[in-house]
Amino acid sequence: MESQNRLWRVLLLALPILVFSVLVIWPLLSSFYYSFTNWNGFNRDYEFLGLRNFAKIWTDRLFFNAIVNTTIWMAAALVLPTLTGLFLALLLDRQVRGARIFKTVFYLPICLSAIVVGQIWIWIYQPDWGLLNTFVKLAGNPDFNYAWLARPDSALFAVIVAWSWQQTGLSMVIYLAGLTSIPSEMLEVCEIEGATAWQRIRRVVIPLLTPSTVVVVALSMINSLKGFDILYIMTGGGPFNSSDTLAMHMYNESFKKYLMGYGSAISVVLFLIALTIIGVYFRQLRKVDEIYG
Amino acid sequence: MTCILRRGSLGTAIAAPLVTAATLAFADGHEVTISHYFTGELGLKAFQEQIDRFEAATDYALKDSPVGHEDFKTDILVRASGNSLPDVFSYWAGARVQFIVDSNALHPIDDMWDNAGLDSVVAKSVADSATMYNGSRYLVPFNYHYSGVFYNKAVFADAGIDELPTDWEGFVALCETLNANGVTPIALGSMNRWPAQFWFDYLLLRTAGPDYRARLMAGDASYDDPEVHAAMGMWKDLVDAGYFTENANADSWTDASDKVARGDAAMTLMGTWITGYWNGLGLVPGEDYDFFPFPSISEGVAEASVGPVDGLVMAANAANVDGAKAFLEFMVSNADVQAAWSKAQGALSANVNVDPSNYNSVMLRAFETVAASEVFAFNYDLATPPPVAEVGLSMFSRFMDDPSKLGEILAQVATDAKSAFEQ
Repeated sequence: MESQNRLWRVLLLALPILVFSVLVIWPLLSSFYYSFTNWNGFNRDYEFLGLRNFAKIWTDRLFFNAIVNTTIWMAAALVLPTLTGLFLALLLDRQVRGARIFKTVFYLPICLSAIVVGQIWIWIYQPDWGLLNTFVKLAGNPDFNYAWLARPDSALFAVIVAWSWQQTGLSMVIYLAGLTSIPSEMLEVCEIEGATAWQRIRRVVIPLLTPSTVVVVALSMINSLKGFDILYIMTGGGPFNSSDTLAMHMYNESFKKYLMGYGSAISVVLFLIALTIIGVYFRQLRKVDEIYG
Repeated sequence: MTCILRRGSLGTAIAAPLVTAATLAFADGHEVTISHYFTGELGLKAFQEQIDRFEAATDYALKDSPVGHEDFKTDILVRASGNSLPDVFSYWAGARVQFIVDSNALHPIDDMWDNAGLDSVVAKSVADSATMYNGSRYLVPFNYHYSGVFYNKAVFADAGIDELPTDWEGFVALCETLNANGVTPIALGSMNRWPAQFWFDYLLLRTAGPDYRARLMAGDASYDDPEVHAAMGMWKDLVDAGYFTENANADSWTDASDKVARGDAAMTLMGTWITGYWNGLGLVPGEDYDFFPFPSISEGVAEASVGPVDGLVMAANAANVDGAKAFLEFMVSNADVQAAWSKAQGALSANVNVDPSNYNSVMLRAFETVAASEVFAFNYDLATPPPVAEVGLSMFSRFMDDPSKLGEILAQVATDAKSAFEQ
């Protein structure tokens, strides 16, 4: 009976392992393999180039452009939703009227797909009749028609704002949950001792919210690394590569220029960067665990 | 017993997909798989009608999987990389077909072409430019488009314009008149980059000529050459003079077409597919809108027409070779099929036996213009290999963003294009 159960466990585990292997491990290994070739997606008789694709990366100005944009993207995707989520949580944690409605409203964007969020913000940014420019026009600039997504100076930041708008709800909910675990007596004592509201937040609330911050940062980081779809729908990495992140650059090289081998080399570099970031993060996480148990 | 049943269920669960896959794989030799990018309401309906006709006329059954125009480019690459191309798929003649022919991913169709006598069916200019690759035929032209200057007739009339320009001076004067009448002369929606390419195509073709352009497209000339500087310089003069709508990179081609249709702008340089779009909005060809060919610029330069040719190609590893060839032949050689298709799609037929009276007045003139042209040239992104086209398309949107950086842009593109050709 025991051996039969073990057989079933193996069989039942085999399916998810098989799915994971086929959908994750195999493509990952394939990317490594193709990164050493000049495969274009169509040709079966590709050649092995050794490390030439990786050498090319260091002379590719668009790759470095993508590195800079990815750094900006990740930094902003970590900082903006975290800070705005914390701010909203602190605001709504006080017993304000309609807090429940506000919580629902602020959380709603996270339920939408990135494609829908992207489309909403494309309309908001539309230069002639978009919401943003309409407000600017009403504020006394009737000829204002700045094309937020079509100008290289603003395209990436415009997408970051849209992305942060969507992600803020998630941070807010996690911080709200964290705030409920802070004993109100502790804050009352601080108040009696003469601590100002800002001192209470800075010295008591924020340190006690560290476990929540760890979760928020982890989710923001993972989501920002995955953040391809909203860029794809809003700018496609444009105009002229100004909002290219590494993922976008990899896509453009692979699927628009048909350089699958080179695209695979970029994906390997992206994988190593992600692995490093996640490694550093988990190391820090262990330290936090040691402190907070 | 329970155990046997469990094992039986598990076995069935594992075996069922395998049996289904095997059944599908060996269904019969009558199934032909096809994928295409004609997914607009009219195009999809018209294509399905042709499929129905084909199935009624033959023993073959078509398994159709349409994919949206832009997504198709990625989809077909994904299918190719997975070694699962459909038997037949639509594709754009020119450098894109050349690219996959060079990758040995297509099946030659010389025997079918000869047996069906397609030399007497397909217009020679189209056959010469669109079907032959590396000495063999690979593509059956399905329809083609022509790019011209499409304009709003009411706007021109209101500005007192009763004569259409045939040369560059006339064109600039036309723009000036429209500007003076408070109408932006030219709408361009280069958000997706490709709509800007027709300006580069025509300016280069009309100044440096088709031979130079062919050399540039093949990597035998540089984007830093005086010919390219001259053509782009003329484009810059138009932008600097304020003849283009603002924020071109923020508009799609339909946004630009809407601006012309509404009268916010007077004209747009676009392919004949704009007629299908405008007709769908209720505009009447010849009454509400018309077109004129891109004006001549330099004397002694062959007058070229620019446009894409949509074709059908066959995968090198097609499972049903006979069925695929039968479908290709049916789609191009049947004049009724071609007439119905071109009407629905707002395209010109590649079949010389299609009665031109099937076209509306605008399409008929487009047909005559192409017929009278000395050269038919593919538009930029179909004339140069895909990795280079990506470089050039970005150049157009960068130029439209800041034309003052033209010199810097061309120097950069010359380097990037050279590197892309070496790949």
